[in-house]
Amino acid sequence: MDLISLFPLAVLGPSEVKFIMPLLILSFGAVIALLLGTHKEKGHFFAFVASLITLGLAIYQTGSLLMNSETLQLGKVLEFNSLTNFLTLISLLLSSITVLLTYGQDQKEGLLSEIYSLILFGTAGMILMMSTNHLLFMFIALEIMSLAVYVLVAMRRNSQFSSEAGLKYFILGGLASALFLYGSSLVFGATGTFDLAQIMAFIETQQAPMIYFIGLALILSAMLFKVGAFPFHSWVPDVYQGAVTNVTAFMSSSVKITAFMAFANIYHHMIAVPTVPELSHFKSIIWVLSAASMIYGNFVAISQNEIKRMLAFSTIAHTGYLLMGIYGLKVSDWSLQPVVLYLFFYALTNLGAFSLISLIEGRNQKDITLDQLAGFGTNSPVLGALLSLFLLSMAGIPLTSGFIGKYGLFNSTVVGGEIPLVVIAVLTSVVSVYYYLRVIVYMFMKESNNETAVAGVSKGASIAAFLSAFVTLQFGLFPNSIIQLVRLITR
Amino acid sequence: METHSHILSWIIFTPLLFATLALLIPHKFEKHLRTLTLIQTLVSAALAIFLYGIFDSTVAPLQLTHFIQWLPEWGINYIVGIDGISLPLVMLTAFMAPVAILGTWPHGDLKKEKFFVTLLMGLQSGMYGTFLAADLFLFYFFWEVVLIPMFFMIGIWGGKDRVYATIKFFLYTMVGSLLMLIAIFFLINATSDYGTQPSAAFAHVSKMNFAFDGSSLMSALSSPQALLFLAFALAFVIKVPMVPFHTWLPDAHVQAPTVGSVFLAAVLLKLGTYGLMRIAIPFFPQAAMYFSELFITLGVIGIIYGAFCAFAQTDFKKLVAYSSVSHMGFIMVGLFSFQKIALAGSLYQMINHGISAGGLFLIVGFLYERLHTRNLDDFGGLAKVVPIMAIAFMIMTLSSIAMPGSNGFVGEFPILMGSFLSQPVLVLFAGTGVIFGAIYALKAYQLVMLGPRTRSDLTDLHDLNGREILAMIILTVFVFGIGFFPKTFFGKSDATLESYANELTVKVGQYGSH
Repeated sequence: MDLISLFPLAVLGPSEVKFIMPLLILSFGAVIALLLGTHKEKGHFFAFVASLITLGLAIYQTGSLLMNSETLQLGKVLEFNSLTNFLTLISLLLSSITVLLTYGQDQKEGLLSEIYSLILFGTAGMILMMSTNHLLFMFIALEIMSLAVYVLVAMRRNSQFSSEAGLKYFILGGLASALFLYGSSLVFGATGTFDLAQIMAFIETQQAPMIYFIGLALILSAMLFKVGAFPFHSWVPDVYQGAVTNVTAFMSSSVKITAFMAFANIYHHMIAVPTVPELSHFKSIIWVLSAASMIYGNFVAISQNEIKRMLAFSTIAHTGYLLMGIYGLKVSDWSLQPVVLYLFFYALTNLGAFSLISLIEGRNQKDITLDQLAGFGTNSPVLGALLSLFLLSMAGIPLTSGFIGKYGLFNSTVVGGEIPLVVIAVLTSVVSVYYYLRVIVYMFMKESNNETAVAGVSKGASIAAFLSAFVTLQFGLFPNSIIQLVRLITR
Repeated sequence: METHSHILSWIIFTPLLFATLALLIPHKFEKHLRTLTLIQTLVSAALAIFLYGIFDSTVAPLQLTHFIQWLPEWGINYIVGIDGISLPLVMLTAFMAPVAILGTWPHGDLKKEKFFVTLLMGLQSGMYGTFLAADLFLFYFFWEVVLIPMFFMIGIWGGKDRVYATIKFFLYTMVGSLLMLIAIFFLINATSDYGTQPSAAFAHVSKMNFAFDGSSLMSALSSPQALLFLAFALAFVIKVPMVPFHTWLPDAHVQAPTVGSVFLAAVLLKLGTYGLMRIAIPFFPQAAMYFSELFITLGVIGIIYGAFCAFAQTDFKKLVAYSSVSHMGFIMVGLFSFQKIALAGSLYQMINHGISAGGLFLIVGFLYERLHTRNLDDFGGLAKVVPIMAIAFMIMTLSSIAMPGSNGFVGEFPILMGSFLSQPVLVLFAGTGVIFGAIYALKAYQLVMLGPRTRSDLTDLHDLNGREILAMIILTVFVFGIGFFPKTFFGKSDATLESYANELTVKVGQYGSH
């Protein structure tokens, strides 16, 4: 087998180029933002504008692809279809909001202007990762994304927690990448291909050798690390807390979506194959880890006092719900609709919550604790109400998009026949309601004291928060349009 | 008929429209917020009276239905409708709201008043919605929405331990309702197995028949119908509340502001019994029948235990709260007796308890506002100082202890009479609850209004003022009106109750022949 057939790169004509146009725009834009950022006085501003323009162009390009529902299979490596176009659009939107959120905060936290180009590079990596069916390309995309995010996490130069978080994330992430690469090579050794569809075809028709399962276990560990599932979660709280809040917002929204879509892709092709009896063990592992993530994340979040750390643990719990959603999908009728919906709603809610937290942090240097939120809602009712809305959405209370997302996810799992897992999910969500409410209780039901946080002023963060709030309510009350859309593209 | 098809939606969303208005009201008009709330409750009451007028009492199933597609793909639609079971409860909500507002007008300067009235209006929308929903998902939606305003109301304007009470209230309800949600998923998807589109409309779900095997406890517990029934029933009995799930109620009541207590006792608890009557029992009749002895027993325990706890209280508000546990036990007994008379009695008792408990909480509120204490030992001999309040209190006490001629009698008597047919021994115990009820209620009355005065500063206590009297007069009209002319007030429910009981008998009969 010659090397070329392993990396089947096609010749690109104009009709192919328009599909990778968003990626090209992002990469060029990132370089330009990097160069403009070197300007002495106005570097931040130029980089900010350049990255917004870049994202706007990329959004326009992806939007037109999505509108015409065009698809393209580029070699056997990249696949662009409605789903990937939709996800690309979402991650571009989320990145734009992150960029908005970053501007204004960057000076205060002593961030370098490179943050903008790193966000763009990271986004390019995400788009690549969600569009590929090839394990090696997935690895490359993972690295492009991760390297950008490692640096983003460590960007807060005046905080030692940030450096610690960055280093921790980098070392553990590097280990995960290594596992992924080694696992891929073992899978290649077993099946002779990196292409997920071919791997699936191989194990359906032939007896898979032992090294396939070893390789799969390594890949699975790496992916579970990336999505932050129990017991690969230990980086999550430190990184979420240590990073600047807008980077945390970025991680909990776009990075989360990307990791999960890649995970779903691998799960679908390499684990959810009913003809291979040994794979049922892997499925049980997912079952257990899903339940464990829900239980661990929710119960540990209760005892957290810093709000970013609390949300980090809650994100582990949400990972558990999403694993459950993927686990519960019917193999015969594979449709990621509930998972995509949940991810979309959850990402926007998270982005909203973190943009509010960055607003509240405004004049504080330290992380916001619950005590500092005492009476905050009384002093700033609008911000308090918005944060409550996001927290209620995460808790899955009706009127919010979080409820619709949770409803769809739990519903599809019940249809898949996994009722015990749903019962665990439901009972642990009651636990989660407790700690989400606790924040609301502090904000509205405790008297303010002289430690109470005073909200800062940031246009970017306010826009991000209001936008997320609008989406949260809009899709909480009238979700039909988005449900139809997601159903169409995930078919 | 067709011309009024939107009236139910108007009833549900009118409070919400006013809430938007209240949020947008400019700062200089903020002192009129309560007038706005009163206007809203009066408008809602007017709509409800109009509804009562056009309600066709000869039609048994849901009428005046209004259908809007919402999430067709998931089998979720906005369907509202009303029948003889929900009509009295809607009327109860419509009348208790202005009474509650009138009875608790100026609690000094209320902090964050705008937020308070907004929540009050949102709460009413949620309650109307729950009673009028004709789709399981919509029912669940409103059921949860009701929680949020109540959570804030207790948590922000409550007493000393308000945070503990409100979180307990929220979590208790959440546990039940999320299990109910799983059952709803199951039901919606099961409808598609019956060859129809997935649908959670009451009309569809009621036609389904789930497997039930009552040959042994294990086989019963593992049959789908029993699991569905228990999932729904748990959600509802927590709300009722039935012993042993009642502990959130005294906490929530004691900490809640008076308006909150009135709404909680008068309407919110009825959501639970309404759910049992509307969903849990008719949709899963065989399982309900199978577990009926358990629920009646727990109901009877609730009656007696609640009465004893009420007797032991020194806090007046807690006493009324425990009396609710006791009186709601009667409704449980009536519902699970599967007798036509008792089922009707349960519906009447829901209304009657709403009136009497609401009235008693208002009295507690009057006293607390004047004396800033709820300790029963701090009162005494008030009847001479505040004679009008004493009369009002007496009327509410009589209603609560089910004196013949008051509304309470109209509810409890048919329950006991009907359920005696199916469970004579247990009902004998339930009957003692009436006596215990009289003991603690009269004890409370005696400690507050009669006997020697314990405090010297009570002489300048001012009696009920005009609006408080108005609130009590409205309640009094209902106490004696229902007491003497039950047919006039509940006549419109007859057709529905008749067919409800018949259908239930038929469905359970199939189980008997197993």
